[in-house]
Amino acid sequence: MSSSGRAGRMPAGLSMRPASPFRLAGGSGRNWGRSQRGAARAGWVLSLPALAGVAALLVLPIGQAFYYSMTTWNGITSTWVGPDAYLQLFEDPTFLRVLENNGLLLLAMPVVIAIPLGIAFLLHEQIAGWKFFRSAVFLPTAISWVVIGVIAVRFYALHGILNSMLSAVGLGFIKTNMLGSTHEALAALAITLIWSQLGTNTIIFITGLAALDPSLAEAARVDGAGPLTVYRRVIIPQMIRFIQFAFIITVLTAFTAIFSLIFVMTGGGPDYGSTTLEFYVYQQAFSESAFGTGALLGVLLFVIVAGISVVQVRVLRARI
Amino acid sequence: MLRRRSRLIGGLSVIAAAGLALAACGNSSSSGSSGSKITLTFWENYGTQLSLLNTAKNLIHAYEKLHPNVTIKMVSQPANNYFALLQASAISHTGPDLAVMWTGLYLPPYADILANLRPYISQSTFNNIEELQWGAEDFNSSKAILAMPVDAQFYMGFYNKKDFAKAGIKQVPQDWNQLYAACTALKKVGVTPIVYGSASASYTGEFNPWYDFSYLMIGALQPSQWEDLYNGKIAWTSPIVQDQLARWHQLFVKGCVNPDALTDANNLGQFISGKAAMTTDDGSWDVGQFTQEMKGNVGAMPPPFSVAPQHGVVYFPGDAISVMKESQNIPAAANFLAFMDSPAGAAQIAAAGLIPDIKNYQSSNALNSQMLGFVKSGYTVYPMLDNVTQPQIVNVGYQVLPALMVGQTSVASAVNAMYVKHNELPVAQRSSYAAYFGG
Repeated sequence: MSSSGRAGRMPAGLSMRPASPFRLAGGSGRNWGRSQRGAARAGWVLSLPALAGVAALLVLPIGQAFYYSMTTWNGITSTWVGPDAYLQLFEDPTFLRVLENNGLLLLAMPVVIAIPLGIAFLLHEQIAGWKFFRSAVFLPTAISWVVIGVIAVRFYALHGILNSMLSAVGLGFIKTNMLGSTHEALAALAITLIWSQLGTNTIIFITGLAALDPSLAEAARVDGAGPLTVYRRVIIPQMIRFIQFAFIITVLTAFTAIFSLIFVMTGGGPDYGSTTLEFYVYQQAFSESAFGTGALLGVLLFVIVAGISVVQVRVLRARI
Repeated sequence: MLRRRSRLIGGLSVIAAAGLALAACGNSSSSGSSGSKITLTFWENYGTQLSLLNTAKNLIHAYEKLHPNVTIKMVSQPANNYFALLQASAISHTGPDLAVMWTGLYLPPYADILANLRPYISQSTFNNIEELQWGAEDFNSSKAILAMPVDAQFYMGFYNKKDFAKAGIKQVPQDWNQLYAACTALKKVGVTPIVYGSASASYTGEFNPWYDFSYLMIGALQPSQWEDLYNGKIAWTSPIVQDQLARWHQLFVKGCVNPDALTDANNLGQFISGKAAMTTDDGSWDVGQFTQEMKGNVGAMPPPFSVAPQHGVVYFPGDAISVMKESQNIPAAANFLAFMDSPAGAAQIAAAGLIPDIKNYQSSNALNSQMLGFVKSGYTVYPMLDNVTQPQIVNVGYQVLPALMVGQTSVASAVNAMYVKHNELPVAQRSSYAAYFGG
């Protein structure tokens, strides 16, 4: 196949820029006649229901959330506070602690990426029993967060599975009660998150590996590169898009989808030790009926997740 | 094919909408005493609290028998976000007729969605209720009555008599020193002195610290001083509070408490089986279960968290039922509540092992009688501390106090978190209890 691409064969006068979705009949500005204007109008009219739906279901609630974030709304009545609400929040030591927890949870992200990537490489190489392992690794994905949480509680309990396993291998002197420790509860959550994300991320990476052009790796091998060099220098750079995708999905999960895991495992405790921003939204809105603060935290959570995603995309784009 | 399917979906939607509309409207008749059919919906958040569930079932069964035209549908709601659900249902006009409500400072945030029961229930019924003011507007029983108490509750500690005898403990501990000594004796015979766990769990999943905290403050302050905790005249960081919490934490340091106090899911089972000798984060709602499973082997003891002999007891109508303002059947729903606090209703409540909240009630249950005996013998009666503390501070307590007990945070840090939350509250929410209404 020629590498010149379609652009090289494109007839003169046609722009690469996509046409307006409402220019149904196509055509240039000079030929912009009555019929085209009618078609454009029809396009807008036909789009109105969808636009109204988006406005009603997305724009309006987001706008409302933003408005209520600057009020003391208890679900029935609200009092305007203004942008000061944001400043006041940053003076709250509990909120700062919760932010810190989210930051600590981010530290688990390299592990959530690295382990599935390693497993995907092994499965891609079709090691003995790879079909079984592929299913086994994917299994956690099919289990609900609540069930995972219940299992995790039993696993980490003082008289639970983890300590029994440690005793069985002669390490009975290491008695842990991770969920009862302010500093270890978040680690227990992170480990559970890593386990539960194993399947999703492994499948993403297996798909990525299967889609790669094998000729590059073959060429590298012919040039004398060892397996590790091939993976590090040839395969991983080609996998960046998949790593990026897995990273964003995992950050989104960690920040916005493990509510039920926290709820079942720790309730955010002890002493806010495992309260993330997502869980704090619930505590404020539903335990204290401080829906205004809940909305404020929700807006901040959105900004943080969007910010991390943008930074991550930019960093990786710069490396490609 | 597509059109047929969309027609089918459209048809089903119409039927579903009609069904929902009918369900929302319910029956529009107004009084339970008339002959017209009435269906009342009752939301409860009792979870697995058997005595409360049985009480509700008993009351409904007895009431329906007396009023064959009335059907009461009990709907279990999740305890953790029960009040948010109730509020949302009131806003969207899909709420129940009757709903479980907590009294004290839990009540004011929902005052706007609750019906005033005064026009529907006779004054003689109100006169018969203990501590009615905690379910009334501005905590004044001559104003609007927003919640009718179900039962009079004790926060209470319980002890296993056989374990005490085995350890040679002849007198039930009454102060810190006696408690520490009992703890040493119990450990010597291989019994866990005090067990904590998630049976009393708050939304955090850890034990509910406010039962113990109530007795810690009983050991340090007079009832009138509790309002000073509310209004900040006595700061949560004051030495009085810190000293009591430090002694409480010593229970863990001295090994008087199970090491997995935050995560033990079978603490009640350990107490009932005798593996643990005392449980303090408990109350009268478990009397039915203790009586059934431990027979005469269990005794009640006000947790002795006091330097001087403990002489106070938490006795408070914490659990109540309200009628929603939205209800189309307010008179009928109120009639059910009047029945609940009548002698016939009291018999149903007592049958489930609880203490009806009516004046001069005599219980036939030995444990209940023992607890009522504390009040009769002159113990100072206190409310539940969490019912007279701002809910926002109560929530902070749920997080920091269990962690403090097991040494995961310091006393200073824990009380400071409560102090900070107190200062964040609007002034109207930290002046007087009554001002919390509308504050």
